[in-house]
Amino acid sequence: MTKKISYAVGALALLFGLWGVYIRLFEGEQSANYGSYIGWGLWVAMYLFLAGLAAGAYMLAAFDYLFNVPQFKGTGKTMLWAALVTLPAGLASIGMDLGHMDRIWKVYLQPNFTSFLAIMVWGYTIFLILIAVSLYFAFTAPDKKVMKVVMWIGFVTAILVAGGVGFLLGGNAARLYWHVGLLPVQFPVFAIASGAALMLLIVGWFMPNLEEKQRGDLLWLLAIITIATSVAKLYFLVADYTQSLYGGATDNLIAVNYVLNGPHAFMFWGVQIVLGLLIPVLVLAQPKLAKNGFVAGLMGLFLLIGYAAARILIVVPGQVAEMMPGQAAAFHGPKLTLEYTPSLMEWSVTSAVMGFAILGILIGMDYLLGYLARFTEAKK
Amino acid sequence: MTEANLLQKYASEVFAGLVAPVAELGISAAPAADALAKEDVLVRMERELKRALEKPASERRWVMVIDLRRCIGCHACTVACVAENKLPPGVVYRPVMTEEVGTYPNVTMKFLPRPCMQCEKSPCTEVCPVTATYHDEEGVVVVDYEQCIGCRACMAACPYGARTFDFGYTYTEQLPVFDGAIVGGENAAGYEHASQEYGEAWKREGRHESPVGNVRKCHFCLHRIKDGILPACTTTCIGRATYFGDANDPDSLVTELINKPNVIRLKEELGTEPRVYYIV
Repeated sequence: MTKKISYAVGALALLFGLWGVYIRLFEGEQSANYGSYIGWGLWVAMYLFLAGLAAGAYMLAAFDYLFNVPQFKGTGKTMLWAALVTLPAGLASIGMDLGHMDRIWKVYLQPNFTSFLAIMVWGYTIFLILIAVSLYFAFTAPDKKVMKVVMWIGFVTAILVAGGVGFLLGGNAARLYWHVGLLPVQFPVFAIASGAALMLLIVGWFMPNLEEKQRGDLLWLLAIITIATSVAKLYFLVADYTQSLYGGATDNLIAVNYVLNGPHAFMFWGVQIVLGLLIPVLVLAQPKLAKNGFVAGLMGLFLLIGYAAARILIVVPGQVAEMMPGQAAAFHGPKLTLEYTPSLMEWSVTSAVMGFAILGILIGMDYLLGYLARFTEAKK
Repeated sequence: MTEANLLQKYASEVFAGLVAPVAELGISAAPAADALAKEDVLVRMERELKRALEKPASERRWVMVIDLRRCIGCHACTVACVAENKLPPGVVYRPVMTEEVGTYPNVTMKFLPRPCMQCEKSPCTEVCPVTATYHDEEGVVVVDYEQCIGCRACMAACPYGARTFDFGYTYTEQLPVFDGAIVGGENAAGYEHASQEYGEAWKREGRHESPVGNVRKCHFCLHRIKDGILPACTTTCIGRATYFGDANDPDSLVTELINKPNVIRLKEELGTEPRVYYIV
């Protein structure tokens, strides 16, 4: 039942998203609400979220192929597939954010490697290839050395690209809210946390064929990973915000107050903290509930929504402090504002991206992975 | 003496008197007051500009100096820049920040014009993934509109908020279209003049043609400089608060000004080495 609903949600999300994609591609960016002072909005945040998800999914696939954790046995292919879907989804989200997406090839043929953005584009491209190669060997040579070598390279790359996203923001010395050494450290933790949440959802809702005991044990292990990473994330958050508030630097105060008391404070307290952290941690701390597929899947969904909100609350508040005091009032014009709420078109595009990811993962699990398994078996 | 000569001789002093009350306190108020008294600084700067242009480009170091004591917050520089560069709605290169200081009755206004700082160690050029923004031979930070992918990383990196994004707005797009009348956004490219930035005509035809979809910024009016004309903000400043020239010329006005002790640069702590100086 949950699978059917998920297919329907994915299809509807994609359908609603096609409108936004059409507007974006043919009418430009005017109907987006990001502007010249808050230049990075929902799509950049969703890129961080989905790229982190891909890195996390890959890391969890390594639990099967590299670390041979018994509870993860047989789940590696699914997680590699999830990574192979969520990464392009994330890249599509950031691609829509480009003023001239037709020129993306320039990052490959005319790159500026002092730019961390260029390094990240290359890094994610290499990572995408590594995911595909890992998946190939997962079918053709799962127990051979070559698989281990590729997975190790991929595992390290996953940590680096996840941390790199933190650096991408944190490297901007002008933005105090981002410019903290912890940011690149946090992102790999975010990645593994979101990978675990995705796996809770997948194993809880879409993998009923897993042997019952293994499924329960795996869900419980994922619950423990989730609780541990949630505590770590909460520690980072409290450390960062209290340090900012205590230090009192103006730009930091503006940013942190925007998160805690600003116009979108509900996104922090309601979505990120209550829905995305407290409820899942409290529920998953109960072994009986954590081992229940439906409950675990639901908590995975809550966690993912919370992590997506957390990405928005990293990207946007970093830009709400004026670079020059009085700038927003100095000159008036469209998109010269410090207020940002994603427009319907932006939500629509994100809906398309999410619809693609949901359907991609489901179709892959239901048809493609099985087909590939039969195909490689027949070839052997 | 003709009226024009009189104006040329005394205009600057009149403005200095208007906007620099510190003179009444016996403090040296106007920068290079002697030089200003002899001729309009614009005449001197234009002469120095032509002298600088005789040198190889790599030997020039353009800087801008803004005397905050003389700025009266008229926004003429902002408007001149918009007019010169045909900036569309939502794009601005040189806003003037206004701050009210004090409590009644001791209230005053402070003004801070903010062009691009043309930083020598510019965070914006470093982060550009395709080298679409870079220092030209004279050290000015420029944008190659045909190279820019519109990722806005430079906007996030600029500590001065000196970059804005061209979303493709025109001044007429909300207007109705009547037969025989030139109105309506779809006709904008036909009569909204093309910008001449970087020595090319940028017509902004359609919603996907550069510089639409690009990040834009002040470039010290390079297209004017190459013809020996000062930047639009400089010539338009009615308080003669903006100075421009070659800091590698030891005899230039800007060199004279930036070597005084009451000169600052914005956000020095970030190590960006701006080429815009403020006299305070």
